[in-house]
Amino acid sequence: MSTRDESGRLVLMQGTLDVLILRTLIFGPEHGQGIARAIQTTSDDELLVEHGALYPALQRLEAQGLISAKWGTSANNRRARYYTLTRAGRARLTRESSRWRRLAAAMARVLGPETGNG
Amino acid sequence: MWPFRRRRSEQDFSEEIQAHLALEADRLAEDGLAPADARGAARRSFGNVLAAQERYYESNRWMWLDQLMQDLRYGWRGLVQSPPFLLTTVLTLAVGLSLVTVAFTVFNAMVLRPFAVADPGSLHRIGWRSDTGGGQGFQWRDYEELAERRDLFDAAVAEGDRYVSSNGRTLLAAFVSPNYFEALAPRFRIGRPFAPADGDAAVVVLGDQAWARLFARDAGVLGRDVDVDGRRLAVIGVLRPEFSGLGEPRDIWVPIGDRPERLEITARLRAGVSAEQAQAALTPAMARLVERMPARDAEEARSVRAHVSPQSTRNPMSVQMLVVLSPVFAAFALVLVTACANVSNVMLSRAIARHREIAVRLSLGASRARVVRQLLTEGLIIAVIAGAAGLALAAWALRAAVALFFGTLPQSIAALVRVAPLTFDRRVFLFAFAAAAATTLLFALLPALQASRMRLTDALRGQRTGTLRGSRLRSGLVVGQVAVSLVLVVVALTLARNGAAVGSIPLGFQPEGVWSVNVRGEKDVHPLVERLAAALAADPRAGDVAVTGGNPLFIRSRAVAASPTAARASAGTRYTFVSPDYFSILRIPIQRGRGFTASEGAAAARVAVVSSATARAFWPGGDPIGRTIRIERADGRPVDDLPGYDEVTVVGVAGDVVSGFMVDGRDAGHVYLPIGPADARAIALLVRPRGERDLGPDGLQEIFRRVSRDPQVFEGIPLAEMKDAQMYPLRAAAWVGSALGAIALALSVAGLYGVLSFTLGQRTREIGIRMALGAGAGAVVRLVIGQSARLAGIGAAIGFAVAFAAMRALSSVVRLDRISLLDATPFAAGALVVAAATALAACHPARRATQVDPAETLRAEA
Repeated sequence: MSTRDESGRLVLMQGTLDVLILRTLIFGPEHGQGIARAIQTTSDDELLVEHGALYPALQRLEAQGLISAKWGTSANNRRARYYTLTRAGRARLTRESSRWRRLAAAMARVLGPETGNG
Repeated sequence: MWPFRRRRSEQDFSEEIQAHLALEADRLAEDGLAPADARGAARRSFGNVLAAQERYYESNRWMWLDQLMQDLRYGWRGLVQSPPFLLTTVLTLAVGLSLVTVAFTVFNAMVLRPFAVADPGSLHRIGWRSDTGGGQGFQWRDYEELAERRDLFDAAVAEGDRYVSSNGRTLLAAFVSPNYFEALAPRFRIGRPFAPADGDAAVVVLGDQAWARLFARDAGVLGRDVDVDGRRLAVIGVLRPEFSGLGEPRDIWVPIGDRPERLEITARLRAGVSAEQAQAALTPAMARLVERMPARDAEEARSVRAHVSPQSTRNPMSVQMLVVLSPVFAAFALVLVTACANVSNVMLSRAIARHREIAVRLSLGASRARVVRQLLTEGLIIAVIAGAAGLALAAWALRAAVALFFGTLPQSIAALVRVAPLTFDRRVFLFAFAAAAATTLLFALLPALQASRMRLTDALRGQRTGTLRGSRLRSGLVVGQVAVSLVLVVVALTLARNGAAVGSIPLGFQPEGVWSVNVRGEKDVHPLVERLAAALAADPRAGDVAVTGGNPLFIRSRAVAASPTAARASAGTRYTFVSPDYFSILRIPIQRGRGFTASEGAAAARVAVVSSATARAFWPGGDPIGRTIRIERADGRPVDDLPGYDEVTVVGVAGDVVSGFMVDGRDAGHVYLPIGPADARAIALLVRPRGERDLGPDGLQEIFRRVSRDPQVFEGIPLAEMKDAQMYPLRAAAWVGSALGAIALALSVAGLYGVLSFTLGQRTREIGIRMALGAGAGAVVRLVIGQSARLAGIGAAIGFAVAFAAMRALSSVVRLDRISLLDATPFAAGALVVAAATALAACHPARRATQVDPAETLRAEA
């Protein structure tokens, strides 16, 4: 299975999206479109989020009580559903990020110095 | 939790997606795209809108859940509209559910709940079995050897329990090996456990109950002192209430220090080692250990094998236990079943009353299954509320029962008894929920099936075709209830009657006003008895003192093979060593000859006093005085060997007594042999203070303290309380049985009353017509009473048969001379009680029937 789409950006692996959403919400409440945008820009456009895939993920996180949602108004006066990180979500993020860091470091060690384009 | 959270509507979700697309389009437009292009790009980067929505719907497609919620809402609305219905059904079920919950909670605390320690599943009790016996008592050096076996055990702990005194209170202390807390890792509320590093430091760990009793749960208890037999031990920790020791609840835990003579060993088996493997591996070592135990012969040691049994709960489950307990559980469950029958009956009448509504739903296209489910859901609501109420009721009942238990136990026994905390845990909640769900099926399924089975055309026209079958079902339920309550009433009466019969057995002696003193433990028993006898003899308050080889009412006295010298065959006869004052202290009459003289006691002379039953058996019609008894060498257990007592001369005949258990009745034969306090066979004492109030418990304790640094080594119990203690299980069983029987009977009466009033309502027209045609009040009353009598009669007949079969089965298991289960009186009395109760139930409906106004009913007919 390819991990890049035709534009060359990285398609997310299963489960990664949850962590990214939680991470994005740490800066405060945000609506779905804002989250998609934020993930794209903070990853220097490397990570592609199919916006449609975002909503089931949000739905799931909400059901798990990791985020909560409320309708509000956006800066340009549109109604949007804003998501906020809950205390449980914050705890999960801490746990997941350290796990990811360890994984990434381990992968880097295994792969060794840059040899090609992976 | 989440299925009960209000779910988002689908519209809300699609609104969110629209908002997203708009925001994204805004954003792209800001970047310079034309508005139309921006919308298109937003849609593209979103992916398939429809797919996203579809996925959202999918997750929402819990149709049955939707329907369940609908049914719950609908059912709840229906129920709150008729509070009397809700109240009666919930209360009736709650009573039944609380009873089974109480029974299960006790069972859980005694059998199911694992010890609150790390990995309780790996704990095993180490013991041994031989062809002739077995045991699990070890010495310290045995423990040290066994604990070495690292190939089998991860850890092994040793524990010796004994009662200690703490400023006049009796505490059950566990003297444990230093690694005890390290190996078991129970949780502490405050402070810390002691560890091997503490050595034999003067420290103590308190259990929750002792903490409450001694320090009123003072959080600042650490570092304070507890007096244990005069030693001051510093409190270093308090355990959480979940852990109260590996067995019956202990009060305090102390480092083992002075190595008690009897230790129990619990080991944690290594992962991968099975109990059988451990058993096989330990057997050679075990034979050696047993051989060096006191009073074990080499022959027995040869057949010794190790016994390793799982010990993760107080009483690990076994088949025998289930066999013994199942009749008890059955009795509790039967009451629940009676309660269910009542509720079922009420539901049935309600369903019939809602006939029209159900018909409408069916005709509007609801499937029969859907209607049944709706009615079952109503049942479930009732059951869940009743389950919660039942739990509350059970909690209250358990507290009351424990208080009652301690309130009714003889005082001196109550001080020694510890009850494991009867708390609700996950298992109890699960059980209560399962029981509530099961009862739903029991009480709601039949009415639901019944109600949904109807011919629509008739139903909508207002005719009740289902009624006939419904009334038969209702009658069947009442018959079942009457049968069940008769069984329970007969059981209760049988228990009560047996209790009364055993209680009225003349003991043959007067236990009132006599202190029985036994020595706890096995080592150095006689020197303690001798010293105490001397101290008592010197004390003016003590009055008469006798030493014995075993006090009456404690255990069955032992047997020897004896016969009159001339006879050929010998028989097993009970015997007791007693000092001369024994007979006068217990007021056992000497019917012929004389008792023992002081010099006979001191010299352990070869003379005997025999019981009157022995005299009759050995020398029928003759004078036993001066005759001789031959005491044979024992060639097999359970008869004892008495070396040096080949021939004894009878000097007197004493009255027959109950020496062991009251359920055994009076001894079939008894031989008394004389000893004095200096004799090593003197292991217990009897004291009859001169006046009633001369020597109370405190005075006795004071004398104990003079004799031993550890006064709790003596156990002083009023002999009369031993009698009560023996009676207690019988009395308690009779109380529980009576309570169950009474509840079941009350439920049946209510059920019968319900059925009678209901049919009366349905038959008003018929009765009106009968009266108009000239039937008198008597005929109408006969009609109602006749129906009641028919139902009760069938129920009673079934109940009779069941009770008889059950008692027959039980009496083949319970083999006690003084207990008779197949007794006509309880059966007759039970039938009478049930007949009276059913007549009571018929009273009011019968009176109402006579008040039917024929003119009125005929008008209604028109």
